[in-house]
Order: sequence, then structure tokens, then C-alpha cells
Amino acid sequence: MSAVAAQAVSAAAPPSGPLHHRIAWHLRHDPKRELWLAWGALVVFYNIFFPVFFIVAQVQPPPQPTWDLATQVHWFHERHLGIPVGFGVIFAISGMIATNNALIAYSMRRMSVSRAFGYSYLLIYSFSAVPGMLLLNIALVVGTLRPERDPEAIGWLYDFAFLSFDGTMGVFLIGSLIWMLAILLDKNRVFPKWFGYLNLCNALTEVVVAPCWIFRRGVLAWNGQIAWWLDMVVFGIYQVTFIVMLFRMIQREDFADGPLPDRVRQKAVGQ
Amino acid sequence: MTDLVDKSKPARFVPGQPDMWAFVLFETLVFTAYFGFYLFYRARSPELFLHSQAQLDLRIGVFNTLVLLLSSWSVARCVQSSRAGAYRAALRDVFITAAFAAVFLLLKVFEWARLVRMGNGLDSNDFFTYYFFLTGIHFVHLLIGFVVLGVVVYQLRSPARREQELQENIETCATYWHTVDFLWVLIFALLYVVR
Repeated sequence: MSAVAAQAVSAAAPPSGPLHHRIAWHLRHDPKRELWLAWGALVVFYNIFFPVFFIVAQVQPPPQPTWDLATQVHWFHERHLGIPVGFGVIFAISGMIATNNALIAYSMRRMSVSRAFGYSYLLIYSFSAVPGMLLLNIALVVGTLRPERDPEAIGWLYDFAFLSFDGTMGVFLIGSLIWMLAILLDKNRVFPKWFGYLNLCNALTEVVVAPCWIFRRGVLAWNGQIAWWLDMVVFGIYQVTFIVMLFRMIQREDFADGPLPDRVRQKAVGQ
Repeated sequence: MTDLVDKSKPARFVPGQPDMWAFVLFETLVFTAYFGFYLFYRARSPELFLHSQAQLDLRIGVFNTLVLLLSSWSVARCVQSSRAGAYRAALRDVFITAAFAAVFLLLKVFEWARLVRMGNGLDSNDFFTYYFFLTGIHFVHLLIGFVVLGVVVYQLRSPARREQELQENIETCATYWHTVDFLWVLIFALLYVVR
């Protein structure tokens, strides 16, 4: 399969001509169109995800864990429109995150390592979307649905939402370590080794989110400078890097089983 | 003549995989941020930090630093032995490194237990939050270091080892080890010494 597929990829060069002709060719003939579609879907998802959480719903950066019940009720009241509208959008598109996980699992299947790496990653990240995103959304929507609800219940939803979102980072940590291990063991050069080590850096900053179960104030609380702000900076760098890495992997993909060719060499072969 | 001089110059040499140095740089930046937050909180309540620091046993800190510096020395010896093809000696140096690291970890656990018995827990005050956090995250790095040493042992024992790849992997692992050591020296200076 692999040799034939590789030949097909090298033979399938896009035609020169007007842009819409080239786009039409890619849609109809490009052997990588499913991969590009998945990559495009993950870019669209993150471009909606972050503005919704930070601007529309305004639930991130997370509020203070130390607030009293009256302030928590007021916080929900201020977002009585943003939370349902924003999270309505998130519920509609949350399935798109599957393309992100699928592409990462695909990258591990393209490596020279056991398929168990890709499958483990896929399972872990599929389950982690529940506590890491959906439970927060549901709890906060429930909190805004009936403002006349008992403040004790509102306070419970407030704690539940943010502890579920920030306190379950351990699930992502193991996923990062699996990807790191696959990259370091891989002989197909799908990703550079430094990206494997960046996975370790990301995992090590996710460790420090765990103490938010204990702290209600200070740097390790769920909105703390270390547990949230620093972790978010590192995760942001990591995320932009892995989106670029997946883009380059698709560019280099030859659908063979051996080492991925370099981009430059592939161009030269195409010419 | 010029060509001869150029050829006799040693090529530019980065120990191990250059990729590992990206990790070193990134971890250094992350720890710089941790230290920055520590110094910020320390400047806000200097009395509390001074009083809490006084409860640390400087002797344990100094001893642990020496133990970790010795482990760095033995891992450097391992690299040298491996470069010279003395794999048996290199293997011995790895085990010595692991022994030093084990002593460090045991002492660290002993120190934590002592502080907790004195009533200084993770959430006692800002200083001890930082103390347990910084020493704890370093502890995690050191535990990963045991896996790294395991990789070195595996490489040295592998009958199918290829000289160049073996040397690069050992140097990469040693770079990680020195990073963990270097971070501890900074943590020690901040938590135990700077008053």
C-alpha cells in the first residue's frame, strides 16, 4: 500500500492557474484533503473556543475562589446572557475538538511506535473533554438559568465548575507524556525531538495545577499566578507550536511507512 | 595552510541532542517565573519570610546541595568514561549518580516530615507554600531523572549499541541531570540562603 500511495502523492501535483481552479483541484483530487480538513476544523474550533470563554461568556480568567456567596450570585447575574449564548455555541461545536485529538493520534500512527500510544492518547483526551470543558459549561449554564435559586446551590455550582475545569489537568498531563514518549522513540522523524521535550515542559506545568484542590488563595489557587496564569502561558505556547507541527506533518506526509521526507526534498522531487 | 588550520580546529560542539537544550532553556524560563513570583511575595511580607526561613535547617540544605553536586560530578564522569569506551566504568558511575540522588530524595522527605511535625504545612503561610511547591516540583524533576538514568543504563548495556548514537543519548541524559542540579542550586540559594 505504502509505495503505491507514495507514488500517487508525488504524481498528484496541483495545477497552476487561477486560485479557484487550484482550490477546486485540492477539494477533488488532493490525497491529503481529509487531513487538511481536520487541521482546518481544529483551527476553527480554537478560534471560537478562546473568544467564547474570554470575551462572550467572560468565565476566564477564572474569578476568585474566596468570594462570598453574594458576590458569586452577582458574578452569575452579570453573565446571565454571555454564558448561555457563548456555551450554546460551544455545545454546538464541541464535537470539532475530536479532529484535534484524531490528528494527534494520526501523528502517532505515522510514527514507528506501537499503535497503543495513539489509541491511549485518543481515549484519554476524549474522556478529558468531559471534566475539562463540558462539566464547567453545564454547571455555569445551570447557575445562570434560575437567578432566584438558593445562593448555597449557586455557590456549589461555582466551585464545581472551576474545580472541574482547573483541577482535572492531570488527565492532560498523562496525554502530554504519552505524546512525548512517542516522539522520543519514533524513528520516522515525524516531529523534531525538541517538540517531545516541549511536551514534557507542558506536562510539568500541568502538575502544578493539581494543588488548586487545596488552596483558596495565593499562587496555587485555581486563579493563581502559577496554577493558572503561568500554566496558561506555557499551554498557549505549546498549543500554537503543536498546531504548526501538525501543519508541517501534513505538508510532509507521503502516506508511506518509513521516515517522513523533509519538506525541501519533497519539493525538489515534485519539480 | 589556512585550510589546514581550519581543518584542525574542532567542530562546534554541543553535548548531546541540541533539542535537549531547548528543554533547558524553556525550563529555565519557567523556573525564572516561579522565582519571580517568590521574590514578589517575599518583598510584600519580608518579616514573615525571614521568620519562616529561620525554621529551615541550613545544614540539611547545604548537605543536600553537596550531594546533588556530587551526583553531577559522577554523571560527568560517566560521560567521560563512555567517550573513552570504558562502558563498565560508565555504568558504575550511573549507579553512583543514582545513589546520590536517592540520598537527596530521602533527606528531602525527612526534611518535609520534620517541618510538618513542627506545624509548617503546605498551606501554613506564603513562604511554606513556596517552599513545598519549589522543592516538590524539583522532586518531580529528580524522579524523572531516575527514568533518564535508566535510559543511560539501558544504552550502556545494549549489545547492539552504535557508538555515535550511544554517546549522544548519554550526553543528552547528562544534560538533563545537570539542569536538575542547576535548578536545585538556585532553589537552595533562594529558600535557604537569601535573607
